[in-house]
Amino acid sequence: MSERDRRANGPLPPEVLAELRASVRALRVELEQRFGVRDPEEREEDRLETALESLAPALAPVADDPPAPPARAGLFEQLRDGVRARLEEIDVVKLYEAVRERLAIPSAGDVSAEVDDFGLDLRYLARARRWLDWLYDTWWRVEVSGEQGIPDEPRVLFVANSAGILPWDALMIAHAIERAQPSHGRPRALVADWIATLPFSQSRLARLGAVRACAENAERLLAQNQWVIAFPEGQKGALKPFRERYRLQRFARGGFVSLAARLRAALVPVAVIGSEEVHPILFEPRILRRLLGIPVPITPTFPLLGPLGVVPLPSRWRIRFGEPIWFDDVSDERALDPLYVNRTREQVRGAIQSLLDEELPRRRSVFA
Amino acid sequence: MAARREPELGRRGLAITGLGTFTGARVAERLLESDAAPRIVALDLRLPRRLEGRVRFHRVDLTEPTADSLVAEILEKEGCEALLHSAFFTDPNPDLELSHELEVVGALHVMNAAAAAGLRKLVVASTAQVYGPHPDNPGFLSESHPLRPQREAHALRDRAEMEGLLRIFAQRHRELCVSSLRPAWIMGPSVESALTRRFEAGRVVTLLGYDPLLQFLHEDDWIDAVELALDRDAPGPWNLAGDGVLPLSTLLRLAGKSAVPLPHPLLYRLTHLESLARTGDPPAAFYDHLRFGWLVDTRRAREELGFEPLYTSQEAWMSFVVARKLRGYR
Repeated sequence: MSERDRRANGPLPPEVLAELRASVRALRVELEQRFGVRDPEEREEDRLETALESLAPALAPVADDPPAPPARAGLFEQLRDGVRARLEEIDVVKLYEAVRERLAIPSAGDVSAEVDDFGLDLRYLARARRWLDWLYDTWWRVEVSGEQGIPDEPRVLFVANSAGILPWDALMIAHAIERAQPSHGRPRALVADWIATLPFSQSRLARLGAVRACAENAERLLAQNQWVIAFPEGQKGALKPFRERYRLQRFARGGFVSLAARLRAALVPVAVIGSEEVHPILFEPRILRRLLGIPVPITPTFPLLGPLGVVPLPSRWRIRFGEPIWFDDVSDERALDPLYVNRTREQVRGAIQSLLDEELPRRRSVFA
Repeated sequence: MAARREPELGRRGLAITGLGTFTGARVAERLLESDAAPRIVALDLRLPRRLEGRVRFHRVDLTEPTADSLVAEILEKEGCEALLHSAFFTDPNPDLELSHELEVVGALHVMNAAAAAGLRKLVVASTAQVYGPHPDNPGFLSESHPLRPQREAHALRDRAEMEGLLRIFAQRHRELCVSSLRPAWIMGPSVESALTRRFEAGRVVTLLGYDPLLQFLHEDDWIDAVELALDRDAPGPWNLAGDGVLPLSTLLRLAGKSAVPLPHPLLYRLTHLESLARTGDPPAAFYDHLRFGWLVDTRRAREELGFEPLYTSQEAWMSFVVARKLRGYR
């Protein structure tokens, strides 16, 4: 028998008994005066005592707080009741929200009702910034140099070497530029066609400011005085095998040069070191590209580890901005002259290659 | 908006084909209400009851082999100066041959009749969908972009063919001002089309992993633009859309609708069955519009046509949503 049960069946505390007696007596006096009813027995005090004693078990729980659980609850019932009580305290939705808040994962609720022409969503970007910061500072430990040379002009076109299947480099360069010159807003990165239409990543990248690479889009963005990051190596650069890392591939047709020249945008060469090691491509089988319609690069981790293989390797990054190239004194006819465009294109390519060649020997290892 | 401006081209006689369509009927009503109401000549199979007695109606079947000379005769007899061609199927018609006859051959009849009757102006109500949704479209399509409707989209292919014929026709008849209007999806409180029915339900089928940017044109802005094109000497194609773009997911959230995302290979096969069943619904090709971008650049219409939409894309969408919700409560 538990302590609680013994208390319930034992005698009432004296102060409770005295109170009950007083109230019963008052009741009887009132009955006598009003209706002339009189108890025939003299020893009413004793009878009252026994009546109260028999009532005690029923009265006890009222005096006892909180209510007693069933006398013989099995282990299972106790466990079940315990879990149920615990679950009532936890709000699953709130828990999920708290976790999401903690990890700063952008969700469908974090989009704003306004986006710009190419789908940049400032609210989503603000939400994702913590992740981008983490990637920038902790995962890749990006070191930036030459950022003082970025001209404070309304129109700047950044031209960088590209590597890696996913446009991590685009996100990180945009981040570096935004940190160096926050007043110009988020620079817009031009990403390869097939990335721009890849399910799931497309809408997220667009909200973060990525735009499909084509001349019309770049022109529209520059005309709106937005800063643009271009990767003229294109798909050839993104899918080049590991052994050709930091060797610039051919630069498309130089559309970016004539664009910058026509719109009088300053052209800034950018060299990114480290990005070419995040997804080391061993080879890219043509047969898979035919079958699936999108390039499927084979890296040491992908597709071997499945979705885990998409996690980029934590190499140490350096981003170096070169001397800007100006087109202020270039006439419109010259901007369209193929020979001039071709020469300038190779000049930009040479500038980026020499930046890469200068930076590469400075690092001790890929990850340090 | 257009009623206040002095018309540059006389509106002494305006012929309208396709009075049964939203565009044809609405333009006719708007012009009849304006101060300088022109004489409106209606060319169609039948006349909507609302317009009975208010326009001069001629029964014309544009799919008949000699429709062109009949139309030319009417235009000359009525002394028309301008023609608005809006006799297109609002919904993609399951009868592909009839659809081709009306959309392409019918339009050709109208063009030839307009030239034969010596009209000054021909305005064709086309659509921005003729550019086709493609992964390699630029963010905003200009009027000079090639028309690339998808292979399986019969209605859009017919429309693009018509646009090609119209361009050749315009080059041959320099004396005639030929303009074609290419509006983005038209939304508003009263417009009804296969498109609005797709978005009417509380749940909208979308493509898993895709969230395209969309733009809309409010129905009032559309009618204003048609009036502008009739007023102004504005040859060539014109892209029309409201300001701003919004991702599909945001549009659905704003409207309180839920998305039913389906993987596209599955959905394309399902909708193929649907079109085999001849329900008159758009075939699988419709869903490409919810997959790839096909936004249009409206700069030319703003700068040269004077097109100033009163509603943004978001407002056009919300006016549609709110009107449909109210209709549900009534």
